[in-house]
Amino acid sequence: MSAPLLEIGGLEAGYGDVQVLWGVDLAVASGSIVCLIGSNGAGKSTLLRAVSGLVPAAAGQIRFGGEDITHARPSRIVAAGLVHVPEGRRLFAGMSVRDNLLMGAYKRGDGRAAVRRDLERVLALFPRLAERSRQDAVTLSGGEQQMCAIGRGLMAAPRLLMIDELSLGLSPRLVEELCSALVGIRDAGVTVLLVEQDVMTALELADDGHVLQGGRVVLADTSARLAANPMVQQAYLGAVVAHP
Amino acid sequence: MLYLQILINGVLLGGLYSCIAVGFSLVWGVLNIINLLHGSLMILGAYAAFFAHAAWGIHPFLFAPVAGLLLFLVGLALQAGIVNRVMGAPVLITLTLTFGLNLMLDNAMIVAFKADYRKVILDPPLGLLELGNLLVPLDRLYVMALALLLVAGLYAVLRFTSVGRAIVAVRMDRDAAALMGVEVKRIYALTFAAGAFMAGAAGSLMSVIFPISPLTSNAFLGKAFVICVLGGLGSTPGVMIGGILLGVLESFGTLWLGPDFSTTIAFVLLLALLVFRPSGLMGRKGFE
Repeated sequence: MSAPLLEIGGLEAGYGDVQVLWGVDLAVASGSIVCLIGSNGAGKSTLLRAVSGLVPAAAGQIRFGGEDITHARPSRIVAAGLVHVPEGRRLFAGMSVRDNLLMGAYKRGDGRAAVRRDLERVLALFPRLAERSRQDAVTLSGGEQQMCAIGRGLMAAPRLLMIDELSLGLSPRLVEELCSALVGIRDAGVTVLLVEQDVMTALELADDGHVLQGGRVVLADTSARLAANPMVQQAYLGAVVAHP
Repeated sequence: MLYLQILINGVLLGGLYSCIAVGFSLVWGVLNIINLLHGSLMILGAYAAFFAHAAWGIHPFLFAPVAGLLLFLVGLALQAGIVNRVMGAPVLITLTLTFGLNLMLDNAMIVAFKADYRKVILDPPLGLLELGNLLVPLDRLYVMALALLLVAGLYAVLRFTSVGRAIVAVRMDRDAAALMGVEVKRIYALTFAAGAFMAGAAGSLMSVIFPISPLTSNAFLGKAFVICVLGGLGSTPGVMIGGILLGVLESFGTLWLGPDFSTTIAFVLLLALLVFRPSGLMGRKGFE
């Protein structure tokens, strides 16, 4: 097997005096969908923020495509092809859907034609965005906003797309739609790292999974095996485990 | 007829006001800094235009982009050297800083240029356009047209260029913009400098129709402030309309109450708006 696309070792990070990550080890294989599950406050979002350079790493190492990006600035990380779709979509209010998507391509250096081609690709992937491309992005419905946020991430031509809370606040039908879009994105060659509070959905969609607990990865396995793991079932899938 | 004439006077004045206010509004919106230096930067641009005209006979209209560029560089230096240190600090800190810088720059200008009023005297003068009984001073007409052209230019940059979109994105959501690969600090510097550019260019235009003195800088700053509240922060068209509205109101105020009260009207209006419609006439609530 080839070297992982993203490799995190002993990562520690936090906010001021509050340490959130206590030595995270994690690897994401190229060409897969990997999910990160864990309860509230486990450090999932902080991990993504540390990887994308928004939160400085206090210790440990982050390698992306063989390159050390531990202390790189967000702009360099985006330019390297590691793109973070933040929790809550965070679209730019007052800007049209199209302009939001174009913001995703801010760091692209491969010319207008390539950006235009990707814009068309994103609009084809999410036809609803095409219908509303001139509309102010914040007037979209929750699901459309998530499509726009993912599309904006794709406009950066990522090798790895990190999505924080894909399904939060969305109807099951929309989540299904987004999941099949993600499979298409993976099949087009973009690796996906997904943070998801809906563990059932996450394990169904992903190839591999990591369980984050108390700022550390406590379990890492294929999704199928994680779904069968009693600890995962009890903690995250609501299964009742009989005590002997 | 008289009212129409007053209206025309106001609109002519308002174009320049918009141009003064739009840079102030941009810096306020993007950096969240109330730049009390803005009026002084404008006066500095006016002095640059005055001396360029006196020494080399360059027309202030032609000099406006040059004054803008000069102030752009001053803005970059101020942002990189000083303002950057207080980014994200509470409003009291940033306000104190720009207040102090404003005092220093005003007094430096008094030392360097004296407090005497100076004015660019065009030779030959541009004259008047007569439309029946209405008089349109051509210098003011050109100043208004060029000022609005500058405002439209800024609007186009913000709307249709990649850097402009990045400025708007930083204003809306700094972290999300960083996730797009935007260098937020660079955008801050660029925005502050762009605000200074607009101030410098407006100052150059202003030198043709108003006397120049460091003592007037705060009057212009006050107008910029009122216009921002009128138009709502963050909307370039709003600032444009706010500027013209203020110009018209001042003109009618001068007619009805006498010239002594034109500034009073602006600030009474400011108070009224802050009480009854704090998001501005055009501003959207929660846009910040």
